[in-house]
Amino acid sequence: MTQFIIRRLLQSIPTLIGASIIIFLIFAMAPGDYVTSQLQNPKMTEERAAQLRALYGLDKPLPQRYISWASGVLKGDLGDSLLFKKPVVRVINDFIWNSFILGVAIMFFEWLIASIIGIYSAIRQYSVFDTIATLLVFILYSLPSFFLGLVMLKVFAVDLKWFPLGGMITTGSNYTGWAHIVDVSKHMVLPVATLTLISVGGLSRYFRANMLEVIKQDYIRTARAKGLKERTVIFKHALRNALLPLITLFTLELPSLFAGAMITERIFNWPGIGKVVLEGIYIRDYPLFLGYTMLITVLTILANILADVLYGVADPRVRLK
Amino acid sequence: MLRKKWLPLVVTLIFILSVFLTSCGKTETQTPQQSQEQKTTPTASVQDSDNWTKAKDTSKIPEASKARTDTLIIGLHEPKGVFNPLYSETSYDNYVNSAIFDSLLEVDFDGTYIPSLAKSWDIDKDNNTITFHLRDDVKFSDGTPLTAKDVEFSYYVLADPTYDGPIALSAAGIKGFKEYNEGNADKIEGIKVIDDHTIQIQLEKVLGTSLSDLNIPVIPQHYYGKDFAKGKLDGVKALEQQPLGSGPYVFEKFVPGQEVRLVANENYWKGAPKIKHLIYKTTTEETAVQMLQTGETDYETSNITAKKDNVELLESLGFVDYSLLPTNGYGYIAFNHKLPKFQDVRVRKALAYGLNRKAIVDAVYQGLAEVRDVPQSKVSWAYPDEKDIIHYDYNPEKAKQLLDEAGWKLGPDGYRYKDGQKFTIHFLASSPNPVNDALVPMAVENYKELGIEFVAEPLEFNAIIDKVNKGDFEMYFMAWGLTPEPDPYTIFFSKGSQNKIGYANPKVDELILKGREETDINKRKEIYHELYKVLNDDLPYIFLYQRNDLNAKNSRVVGFQISSFRDFTYSLYQAEILQY
Repeated sequence: MTQFIIRRLLQSIPTLIGASIIIFLIFAMAPGDYVTSQLQNPKMTEERAAQLRALYGLDKPLPQRYISWASGVLKGDLGDSLLFKKPVVRVINDFIWNSFILGVAIMFFEWLIASIIGIYSAIRQYSVFDTIATLLVFILYSLPSFFLGLVMLKVFAVDLKWFPLGGMITTGSNYTGWAHIVDVSKHMVLPVATLTLISVGGLSRYFRANMLEVIKQDYIRTARAKGLKERTVIFKHALRNALLPLITLFTLELPSLFAGAMITERIFNWPGIGKVVLEGIYIRDYPLFLGYTMLITVLTILANILADVLYGVADPRVRLK
Repeated sequence: MLRKKWLPLVVTLIFILSVFLTSCGKTETQTPQQSQEQKTTPTASVQDSDNWTKAKDTSKIPEASKARTDTLIIGLHEPKGVFNPLYSETSYDNYVNSAIFDSLLEVDFDGTYIPSLAKSWDIDKDNNTITFHLRDDVKFSDGTPLTAKDVEFSYYVLADPTYDGPIALSAAGIKGFKEYNEGNADKIEGIKVIDDHTIQIQLEKVLGTSLSDLNIPVIPQHYYGKDFAKGKLDGVKALEQQPLGSGPYVFEKFVPGQEVRLVANENYWKGAPKIKHLIYKTTTEETAVQMLQTGETDYETSNITAKKDNVELLESLGFVDYSLLPTNGYGYIAFNHKLPKFQDVRVRKALAYGLNRKAIVDAVYQGLAEVRDVPQSKVSWAYPDEKDIIHYDYNPEKAKQLLDEAGWKLGPDGYRYKDGQKFTIHFLASSPNPVNDALVPMAVENYKELGIEFVAEPLEFNAIIDKVNKGDFEMYFMAWGLTPEPDPYTIFFSKGSQNKIGYANPKVDELILKGREETDINKRKEIYHELYKVLNDDLPYIFLYQRNDLNAKNSRVVGFQISSFRDFTYSLYQAEILQY
């Protein structure tokens, strides 16, 4: 197993280099750069623009720029964000954990609710519950997040005043410890609810489909014929097998915990990484955008390896020799 | 069997969760109940300026805001956290910095410069020097007095070869600036500290724009300049999030993406601020009005677009004061003057007359923006008399006539031709952009009527700037932000750095130079009135509109005296909270 992991890690090095070149090129070749976007300042002169480009290293040929950026990355230095005027690592660190806790909460509720709905719909296929659940999740699934988010804010924050109107902490508060956790949780409810409701649809269909397929298998019939309890049949024989493909799905979803949700973060004023990076793209803050994209790339590659490993653990049939 | 055991568990879980959430909701919502019913209406010592539309019903002020007796919360588009006024690039960071730092000069309500840290200044036209006399009672918030050394230091930071902030000190033409910035000089020849409170600047030439170019925020040398040397600004940059200045408020804490907390500077030279705590809170367009409505913010400055819908919404709240001030800037449609078809002024005029600008502007701003015919803010001292300028009101007949005169004849297919060439306009439409959403369909229809084909190409903003810089464009829509100083040298002078459209008019060049070289504001006024008349007639752009900025506040906070040029930050030290 260790050998397998080491081999996979080594194999991912060329993938990373290739990915970094592509990401770098796409971004470097997009029209305009950070200095172009500053040309909206009427006092900007050609000489000043050239001076700034030289300061930022934007005047060098592409291969040279790539090498200086990549060698910085190898040393753990992602450069300075042009927009925030501080190291990219610090900018990412300021915001990514906010996105992460939001992501974890959403993932937890999404999987919890989707599994309940999915399994229950499968074992009672075409029942009233199944029909209503299917209808509901599809309605929610089709809603744009900004719409649902704004409705939630209007109803629960403005009219009912149950939850705060966006943000992550109470303005001007100095809570620590438990009080801080409670404060943040309160601010999390609406964004988590919005994104969970929207994403639960897709996942519950996976659960349902997988369960349906497994339930029709011969070994389920055998299990029932042996006279096992229905509970044992469903949870021990059916669910376990139905979960196999979902392990991959789950693992591949892990990097997205760090990715941030651009639109929802904006609506709920959540200080996450998504909206920061979006702004970075508009204004051509290339160190920030490259640093963030590379981080997500690394996480995705790691998640892929993890998915393979976990699948092997869970399913002896595909275990590697 | 399964479902019976499963469901109660889920129900219990949801129940526990909801109890948990509602209970923590309760601990937070308790607000101190004011027992005295209807006290006498509190009054403020400094009133708001006249340009506020006052609230009608102060009894609707939300309890949540009343509970905050010594804290003012200002809603703001997310500050980036560049809390150094020499480096901050967004206007949101600038709002924060204006509360922490002072500049040499202030901008008055009418856009002219008035004393601040510099109590007076002498302009010596013969020797080309400007001498600033500083106040002697100003201290930084750590108690150190502000002296001419600090001003000198701030100039040196801006002149440094590695300085990458947005302030263009080079424009001032300080003697020895180039030698320091690009060469080996280790001193700037033209900056001379005379004594603790006097600093003299030697310029290549004193211009009407010099004061505006020399007006900079002042940062303390003893704090930022510890290991400063030419080419070494690391020490200055490292303090980006621990600012120290002489302004009305002192920096306390920054929570990225959330809020900036400030506390009153008791030693502020204009007098200690009346409100102890100031918090800039990040808001977004989607929720800015609701934040005011629920009392989570007291003042909102950047996130409510000046549209009729929003104004009506604010009025319906009852307790909100709002102010609509003309934005210091204008929107325009640019021509590429290097293309022969746009070199004929009759064609440019035809395109202005032939476009229903009012309908476009109204579609976007619902009557809260005005069509403009000159490239200047209506409230600037440089703005010409309305009677003296041509108003290009929608007039397709006149447009057709002008096109005929210019030799663009209607062909059998309904389009105009000249020398066998069809009149087609390729328009770069930055997207997403609400003005383009209204402009493009209107222009397609209006110009079709004139016999012109209008083809819009939607592109991202940066891509358009890139094409414009290369001269690869025909027409595009954009907007300029203006400074209180009206000199349009960079934009309309034939060699101006931002004149990307290839516009050249000897008369305009002459007037721009004359306006720059004159230092008497009354004479400059006449020159600019003349200049704008020429530009109005010659149409380097189709001038489009001037919109409004909307400021809104809870009527419990008073003392904000603002104008298009003088933002709310100048009022922070005098603002107070009325305790309803």
